[in-house]
Amino acid sequence: MTEEVSKADKVVEIPMTVEIPVGPQHPAVHEPILIKVYAEGEYVVKAEAYTGYNHRGVEKLAEKKTFYQDIFLCGRVCGICNTVHADCYVRALEHILNKEPPPRAKYLRTLAMELERLHSHMLILAVTAEIVGFDTLFMHMMRDRELIMKAKEIVTGNRVLADYIMVGGVRRDLNSEKIDKLKKILTKVEPRIRYYWRVFEEDVTLNKRLVEVGRLTPAQVTSHGLLGPVARASGVATDSRYHDAYDAYAEVPFRIVTRKEGDCMARSLVRFEEMQVSLEICRYILNHLPEGEAVPDERRLPRRFPEGEAFTTVEAPRGELTYYVMSKGGVNPYRVKIRTPSYNNIINTVPFYVGHMIADVPAILASYDPCISCMERVVVIDLRKGIRKKVSMRDLAKGEA
Amino acid sequence: MAKVPLLKDVLKLIFSKPATIQYPREETPVEPDARGRQYADLSKCIGCSLCMIECPPKAIRMEKIPEGYEVPKRNARKIYPVVDYFKCIYCYRCVTVCPTKAYVVTNEYRLASDAPVNSRELSLSTLKKASQEPSQGEGEG
Ligand code: SF4
Ligand code: SF4
Repeated sequence: MTEEVSKADKVVEIPMTVEIPVGPQHPAVHEPILIKVYAEGEYVVKAEAYTGYNHRGVEKLAEKKTFYQDIFLCGRVCGICNTVHADCYVRALEHILNKEPPPRAKYLRTLAMELERLHSHMLILAVTAEIVGFDTLFMHMMRDRELIMKAKEIVTGNRVLADYIMVGGVRRDLNSEKIDKLKKILTKVEPRIRYYWRVFEEDVTLNKRLVEVGRLTPAQVTSHGLLGPVARASGVATDSRYHDAYDAYAEVPFRIVTRKEGDCMARSLVRFEEMQVSLEICRYILNHLPEGEAVPDERRLPRRFPEGEAFTTVEAPRGELTYYVMSKGGVNPYRVKIRTPSYNNIINTVPFYVGHMIADVPAILASYDPCISCMERVVVIDLRKGIRKKVSMRDLAKGEA
Repeated sequence: MAKVPLLKDVLKLIFSKPATIQYPREETPVEPDARGRQYADLSKCIGCSLCMIECPPKAIRMEKIPEGYEVPKRNARKIYPVVDYFKCIYCYRCVTVCPTKAYVVTNEYRLASDAPVNSRELSLSTLKKASQEPSQGEGEG
C-alpha cells in the first residue's frame, strides 16, 4: 500500500463543491426555473440558470391567430400581469390603425393596470415573507390581497384574467355605484399596506434575512440591463410610465420611487412605496374620471389591418415590458415579439448569487420577482461562467482533471 | 428596534371568523356582472357563425338545430353555437361580436364536472318545441 502511494506522480485535490439544484419545483416562488448552485460549505461559488420548463410558443401562436384573438392570447402570457400585456399589445395595434382611445378609456386602463401592480407587489412581498420563514405574515398579506382582487373583479369582470382592454377603449365601464365600492376597498387596503410596510421595516427576522443580502450596485444594474423595482432599488430611476407617458400617465400625478441600498430589503421597500403611489393613482382616477364613451362597439372594429409596425412599452409590475407587432396587411400579425422584464431580471442576475449563503438564494430570487411563464419564450443555454475556476466532481469523473 | 404588534393582530384573528371560504360547502361571493357561463339565446341567434370564427381558443362549434324545435326564420341555416365550457376562457369575445346580441351572460362559475359540459341544453331551452312534433328533439349533434 505505502509503495503504491510513493509511486504516484500526481496528486489530485478534489474541490468539495456540492451541486444543489434550487428548483425547478418551487425554487422560491411557485414557478418552474432551475438555479443550479455550486456551494463550498455554505457559500455559493457558482450559479447557473436553466429555463425552458414552461415554454409554450406564444409568439408563434400569435402569428397564426387574428389580431383580435391575440389580445386574449397576450393576456395569457402571464397570469399576474395580464392587463399590462394586453395593454401593450393593444396599443401597438392602435398605432398600426392610427387610432386613439377616448380619455375615459385611457383612465380606466390605467386604473386596471395600477390595481394589477398592487396585487402583484402584494403577492411577491407575501412570498418574500414566506421564504424567510415568516408564514403568518404571508397568510395575512394574502388575505388582504383578496380585497384588491375584488376591486379588479369589479372593474374588469374577473379577479385574475381581466380581458379588459380592447382596440379603441376598454370592454366595460364603471358606474357611480362601482366607483363607491372601489373607493371603500381602497380605504380598507391602505392601512393594511402601511402596516405591512412597517412590519418589513421593523421586524427582526425580516431585517436579518433581507438587509445587506443580494446587493446590486447601480453599475451592475445598468450593465446587465435590469429593470423595474430591481433597478429602482439600486437608485436607477427607470420607469416607462414616466418616460413613455402612455395611456393616462401623462395626466395622472405620480412619482418614481427609488432607493439607494440595492439589497433585498430595498427591493421590498421600493415595492411598498410603489403600492402607496399606486393607491394614490387609483384614487386620483376614481375622483377625476373623464366623462364620455369608453367602450367601443367591437362589431364595428376593422377586421383587416393595414401594413405597418409598432413598438410599444409599458411599465409592468416587474419592469419595462415591450411588444413589437408587425402587420403585412390582412387579419393576422406577421410577427409579435414580446420582451418581458423577468427575462432580463432573472437570467442576467445569475452571476450575482456568487458569494452569498445558500439559504439566501431563494430570498434573493424572490426579491427579483421572477415570473417564469412570462419569460419562457426563448431558451437560453449559455451563461457566464462562475468567477472562480474549479473542477467539479463531475468533470473529474469525466477525466477532465 | 420597535416591535410591531403583529401578536395583537394574530390574537384578534384567532377569535374572528376565518377568512377562508369553505368552497364548495360555502359559495364564493362573485360580482353579479362577473364573467361566468354564457350561452346563445336561439330566438335571437341568426346562425352567422361569427362567434365561432372569433373565439380565441376555438371553444365554439356550430351544430344543426335538432328536429322538433321552432327555429326562427332569420336562422336560415338552422345552426346554432355550442360552447364547450372546458375549452372556453370566458373572454366574452363571442358576447361582444354577436351582431344580434344573442348571448345570455351569467356569473355562474361553478363548472367543475367529470362529464363534458357545454351550452347545448341551455341554448336549446330558449327555443319553443314545435307543436306538431311530439318527439323529445334530442339532437344528432
Ligand atoms: S367566452 Fe371567449 S372562449 Fe368562451 S366561447 Fe366566448 S369567445 Fe370563446
Ligand atoms: S354570433 Fe350571435 S348570431 Fe352569430 S352564430 Fe353566434 S350567437 Fe348566433
